[in-house]
Amino acid sequence: METPSSIVIAGAGQAGAVAAATLRELGYAGALTLVGQEPHPPYERPPLSKAVLQDEAAAASTAVHPESFYRARDVQLITGAPVRALDPDARALRLADGRTLHYDRCLLATGGQARELPGLPRGTAGVHYIRTLDDAAALRRALRPGAAVVVVGGGFLGLEVASTARALNAHVTLLEAAPRLLERALPEAFSHWLAARVRQAGVTLRLDCRVRSIEPGAPARITLEDGAELQADVLVVAIGLVPSVELARTAGLAIDAATGGIRVDSACRSSDPHVYAAGDCASQHRAELDACLRLESWQNANEQARAAAAGMLGLPRPAAAYPWFWTDQYGCNVQILGMPQPGLAYACRGQADPADEAPRFVWIGQRDGVPVHGIAVNAGGDLRQLRVLFERGLPIDPLRFADAAEPLKPLVKACQAAAAGA
Amino acid sequence: MTWTKIATTDQLEDDDEVLPVSVAQAQLALYRSNGEFFVSDNVCTHAYALLSDGFLEDGCIECPLHQARFDIRTGRALCAPATSDIRVYPVKVDNGDILVDLDS
Repeated sequence: METPSSIVIAGAGQAGAVAAATLRELGYAGALTLVGQEPHPPYERPPLSKAVLQDEAAAASTAVHPESFYRARDVQLITGAPVRALDPDARALRLADGRTLHYDRCLLATGGQARELPGLPRGTAGVHYIRTLDDAAALRRALRPGAAVVVVGGGFLGLEVASTARALNAHVTLLEAAPRLLERALPEAFSHWLAARVRQAGVTLRLDCRVRSIEPGAPARITLEDGAELQADVLVVAIGLVPSVELARTAGLAIDAATGGIRVDSACRSSDPHVYAAGDCASQHRAELDACLRLESWQNANEQARAAAAGMLGLPRPAAAYPWFWTDQYGCNVQILGMPQPGLAYACRGQADPADEAPRFVWIGQRDGVPVHGIAVNAGGDLRQLRVLFERGLPIDPLRFADAAEPLKPLVKACQAAAAGA
Repeated sequence: MTWTKIATTDQLEDDDEVLPVSVAQAQLALYRSNGEFFVSDNVCTHAYALLSDGFLEDGCIECPLHQARFDIRTGRALCAPATSDIRVYPVKVDNGDILVDLDS
């Protein structure tokens, strides 16, 4: 494959910014344009539900790259410019402001938008959706000590926003429709642990709780399915993400019906060989699971950006990382390695008391002794020690793992040595 | 140059071990890698976390919180989410004592 002479990246978020950097690191010297609809240069989204809500100054430290990066790497950064259309025949992107950007290769890193509640579109007074830096800044201004805050949606985002609001001494109610927290990502016992932790922090958590109607206003009035009524000075809706795939869909690219993402291969190439997709908007086939996954994580955005950059240059795909995710909430840095699977046996190392000021423990879910799902609370270093066992499929004795008196590093080394000698 | 003793070599018996050291109001991380000793600030430049709780491999320390990595020789930030390098200090070993120049 010949080296492309021009690459345009649509979407200036995590994936877009990392793809631009990776293209230059890989030696691509042609024209490189990064175009985004937001007014800001690319920034990291994880702090939006945490530091940016607490501290006005924190917004400044969210940039993915230093300001000097774009000039130094000769990346043309166009901000505040929504893309209206992808024209695959002309190999061009049409911007809302009338400009046309031609490409040899195009990367769609268009991310997604906050899913809206029916009848509560973005912009409704007193209603907050959290996706952008500006969204987070608006919520920060609204979060006052003593304010009644209702968060609809107990996913990672809702949990983090509720945690931050509670830390700012708001009265926080968190509503989750499912019978337990994070049921797709966590084993049931950990969901219960987390629910106890959330309540310990003083958040009123309602599980199995569906909203019947919301009347916006100051305060907003929320009626639940069971007839209960709540009032909210601040209403935060965090019920998931809708991938932004309209450009791809209108251009006739294949969309994965199950995930709603742009279908891509292992090199992140879409059904159009000149167009790639990465990050929240991409649905990628995973050979190890024999399924298409659309992952909404920081790690996935970075990893697919690197894979797409290599793919666009015709270089081999970098080695895939074990899926990893983190969330900071209720005084806990929670790290998750791998994905939950049916029938795993979980073992716990450390003290899992939700009332501890700083609990510290690791759970691993094992199949035939091999850890495939790990959850660390304030123990990311321990999970990192264990990662080699996940990556190489090596077993560990659950009883020795659970014995916190036994140092972990030598134990992991022994597991590796046993496998090498076997 | 002022050399300050911060530890002894027998406190880090194996490669890829990290030790937190507090000296003169500085929080330091002391690393052993391939038989050599290195010292950096201990608090990650990205978020509040101690690198001494992290994972040391191939001369790189990985933060336990968000997996930012730094080169322990140069302090260079090697990957996201860190964008700022970490400060490193000259180290010398004298008769089993590990000495650091905190002024450099």
